[in-house]
Amino acid sequence: MTVELLNREFESSKGQLKSYLLRITASVNDAEDIVHDTYIKAVDKLNTFRGESSLKTWLFTIASNLAKDNLRAQRRWTENITDITKSAALQNKEFFGEAMHIAMTSPQGQFEVKEHIAFCFTCISKSLPLEQQLCIFLKEVYEFKVSEISEILNTNEAMVKYYLHTGRSKMINIYDGRCALINKVGVCHQCSELNGIFNPKQNTQQELMKIDLVKEAEKGDKEHLFDLRMKILKEIDPFESKASELQLHHLEHNRQVMEKYLEKN
Amino acid sequence: MSENKTLLSRNGKATTVKSTFSRQTSISTDINADASIVWALLTNAADYPRWNSTVISIDGKIAMGEKINLKSTLDPKRTFKLKVKDFEIGKKLVWGDAMGERVYTIKNNQKDGVIFSMSEKIGGPLFPLFAKMIPSFDSSFEKFAADLKKEAEIIMTSK
Repeated sequence: MTVELLNREFESSKGQLKSYLLRITASVNDAEDIVHDTYIKAVDKLNTFRGESSLKTWLFTIASNLAKDNLRAQRRWTENITDITKSAALQNKEFFGEAMHIAMTSPQGQFEVKEHIAFCFTCISKSLPLEQQLCIFLKEVYEFKVSEISEILNTNEAMVKYYLHTGRSKMINIYDGRCALINKVGVCHQCSELNGIFNPKQNTQQELMKIDLVKEAEKGDKEHLFDLRMKILKEIDPFESKASELQLHHLEHNRQVMEKYLEKN
Repeated sequence: MSENKTLLSRNGKATTVKSTFSRQTSISTDINADASIVWALLTNAADYPRWNSTVISIDGKIAMGEKINLKSTLDPKRTFKLKVKDFEIGKKLVWGDAMGERVYTIKNNQKDGVIFSMSEKIGGPLFPLFAKMIPSFDSSFEKFAADLKKEAEIIMTSK
């Protein structure tokens, strides 16, 4: 293995690596720092790479270990995170002022419901135990095989299956109780409410019906709805999308609010 | 109470042995899943109600020396305050109170699966006074073992 080959693989995996790290840390700064540290460590340890896994799997292993070191010291978020952060945002005039400014001036400041669905999953998944969260992203969004995830997380395949199964079940249960997109009595309408604020001329109901997750909701197949939610995440790069600046601003707000909330509670 | 020493048939059927001062219910079944999955299910307190139809809730952390509060469908109004008394990772878990102990064991079955066994002995000098008020555990044990087997095997065969 040469540094040239590593550089080539790193460049091709960098986008996915960065979005994975953002989704598990909920912090742009942490994601960027860990991507950088992953490269430094990969170059440093290049002579230990034996080719038993792909280079991409190896890079995700290094990045996951660095992220876990960072995340283990932090408390997990709560599954009602959208309620907590909404309440904080409503009391924070600056937040909406900044968001409106981004929406009006940035080419990556468009509000889109699908982007918010992906953003929402990032936030709520931080209520899962860390291993469950990592397994879900690695399998459902970044499409690693169970055997590869067992290498990345240094555990056996049976435990990867356990984390995936329990993590999926918990997220399905949370969304079933909260998400008004798939459950008429769901308590959270945040994506529709924000669409009304940022896109006042749009008919929000018509926009929602363009989304497979919403169209399929009446059939009530919860596993399928979860897969459709994951499809939305797969299609969105949180750093490059048309809504990225707006959503990253919102994510930073939520991270700060949750850090303060968890300190107090 | 100690682990049931009698050789149980691994058929998922509960057996109860009664004496004047105690009662012991035991069950054993083969589970076609890795021991780590069975252990993870048995030790994740918050997750019990999702897969186990005999448990309403378990609050607390299932780890050596920890105290847990268990609500069971056997007696939904009552909260059992239990202590984890033995915790051998992947092999044995014991919780209980002054009345008795519940013992879970996991052993390899030589066929890519495990033998799961569970037993509970309740008793003491005052046992004869309230023995008739305590419902049979047989049905609850059979549901517990069947639920555990089903959930572990679903996970094991998932892709």
